[in-house]
Amino acid sequence: MTWYPLGAGLPFWAQQQLVELDTTTVIRWVLWLLVGFFGIFPGIVAYMVWLERKVAARFQDRIGPNRVGPLGLLQPIADAIKLIIKEDLVPRSADRWVHLAAPVLVLVSAFLVMAVIPFAVGLAPVDLPSGLVYLIAVSSISPLGIFLAGWSSRNKYSLLGAMRAVAQLVSYEVPQVLSTVPIVLWAGSLSLVTIFNRQLDFGWFVLSPPGFLAFVILLIANTAEVNRTPFDLPEAESEIIAGYHTEYSSMRFGLFFLAEYLSVFAVSCLATALFLGGGTPIPFVGFPASLISEDSTLSLVLADLIMVGVFLFKVLTFIFVMFWVRATLPRIRVDRLMNFAWKYLVPLSIINILIAGVWYEMVIRPGYLTFWNWVWGFAVTALLVVLTVYLVFLVNRKARARVALGSEWPSLGQVRTGATIGQAAR
Amino acid sequence: MVQFLFLVIAALGLLTALGTVLARNLVHAALFLVAFFFTIACQFVLLEAEFLAALQVLVYIGAVAIILMFGIMLTRNIQGDDTTIVSAAWKIPALAAGLFVFGILVFGINNAVAPAGHSPWSESNMRPSIATDAGSSKATAVRREAVNNMARTVGNELMTRYVVGFEVAGLLLTVALVGAIALAHREEAEPDARSRGEQPARRASASPQPQAAGPSLVSSGTSPPR
Repeated sequence: MTWYPLGAGLPFWAQQQLVELDTTTVIRWVLWLLVGFFGIFPGIVAYMVWLERKVAARFQDRIGPNRVGPLGLLQPIADAIKLIIKEDLVPRSADRWVHLAAPVLVLVSAFLVMAVIPFAVGLAPVDLPSGLVYLIAVSSISPLGIFLAGWSSRNKYSLLGAMRAVAQLVSYEVPQVLSTVPIVLWAGSLSLVTIFNRQLDFGWFVLSPPGFLAFVILLIANTAEVNRTPFDLPEAESEIIAGYHTEYSSMRFGLFFLAEYLSVFAVSCLATALFLGGGTPIPFVGFPASLISEDSTLSLVLADLIMVGVFLFKVLTFIFVMFWVRATLPRIRVDRLMNFAWKYLVPLSIINILIAGVWYEMVIRPGYLTFWNWVWGFAVTALLVVLTVYLVFLVNRKARARVALGSEWPSLGQVRTGATIGQAAR
Repeated sequence: MVQFLFLVIAALGLLTALGTVLARNLVHAALFLVAFFFTIACQFVLLEAEFLAALQVLVYIGAVAIILMFGIMLTRNIQGDDTTIVSAAWKIPALAAGLFVFGILVFGINNAVAPAGHSPWSESNMRPSIATDAGSSKATAVRREAVNNMARTVGNELMTRYVVGFEVAGLLLTVALVGAIALAHREEAEPDARSRGEQPARRASASPQPQAAGPSLVSSGTSPPR
């Protein structure tokens, strides 16, 4: 079995290099830390909150924030000041240190995800050879922080929220990770920079039937991972007050808030980098990246400007879709939440890996993209994908039809007689 | 520099391991354990094995620690207040087991085989550079490949040299999974058995009117509406 040799036919800027820990690298990292992680990303998050309030207001035929500054543009700053100067309360019976550490854990997890995203050519904070595994690993820390937040508060609503959150996050992590496996298979590497480069050669990965299915699964699982509606059971206001952050006030609540919006931004960046070709505006064309020549810095800067713009536009589209979903869909029921993850998404993503293997053999194995390879691959895998989706839904529908309506729901079962329930359960 | 970092991380690891053993609160002990897992991940990074470090965080902190927390919440007092005192009778066997594992580790590490053409690694305190391309030995090329593309190297090794251990571990996990399902599944049959007129004793004692409420169903605590 021969793999496409990495770094053989790639241009100079795409080759993986070992990072020497010299002064330039240190300065670059410090700049990333100060400008990116302490400046730009929190700023983006602040204005995401403003954007969400505006968008939700439009959906509900309201105006939204319009008092502080023109169009309410200074509202995030006012909110931040309010959060900082509020009193910081810790419940008397709370576990003090764990209560303190929990929001920090959640925030750190959200921040660390951003460290491997390739925004443009040469604009990835760090290019790890196993960046995708790193990304999954650091994002799996946040359930721990959420659990500790709920546990340390000594409040039953917090505890309920924490248990819901952990169950949901652990369940949806499985399809989330499985849906990135096709990408790794096609790119032959775990590095996000290499994944971006492969998309210059083979078109955006979303433009293939298995890629599209994986993309949809990733979108759903991502929405669940960041606790957004319709998956916001862990903080369902109408049922359990605010879930795991009920007992948090002041800036510590602010940290949870920041972490949530930051992870929305991070998963949007992830989906863009993995499936939508990062900063390339047109699929199958290496347009801005191919302009870069080795000896002119100006070309690099220009191409990077275009790519960052396109990248941010794609990310904003994702964020808008998440706001849109939140403004339109009601909350999902808790048993359906688990059913959907384990009975639909997980089988779909496992079968999708096999179909991705077919796509790899037909289109990517030759090492270069040809039109007829692509068309044939598309036809065959599209058939397989449609068949798979139909099959999974059919099996689930048959399985559900065998169970009487509402028999899995205890409160309904109470008013029925025992005999019918007994039959229904069988 | 690397040695200093190693010493700091190792000391932190020992401290957190002690904290795990000595903490009175179960959740605190689990938290110390998480910190200990994290120091192990740091050690992997020092060994230029960032893929293993990421896997360490993913598997041990992201999965094992979470399952541990779930276990604590579902089996014990939910706030984990029970003090975790091991009865004195268990102290001697535990000590013996710990010493046994320690002895095996010391024996194994001291008898590790160095790759061909290298001096025993326990006598060397410098890692050869992998950045040079020309004039490097075959072992350096292997190491460069392993560092730059660790996921593939680990996968190849697991599927060739260590395949027996890998399969045995997989089998063990499958057995554990099936066992867990078998244990958890026993509760499911109860409503079915009840509808046939059998009253399990445990539920009946919890119900306020055990005999009169024949078809009192899934939630046995409340009386049926009449």
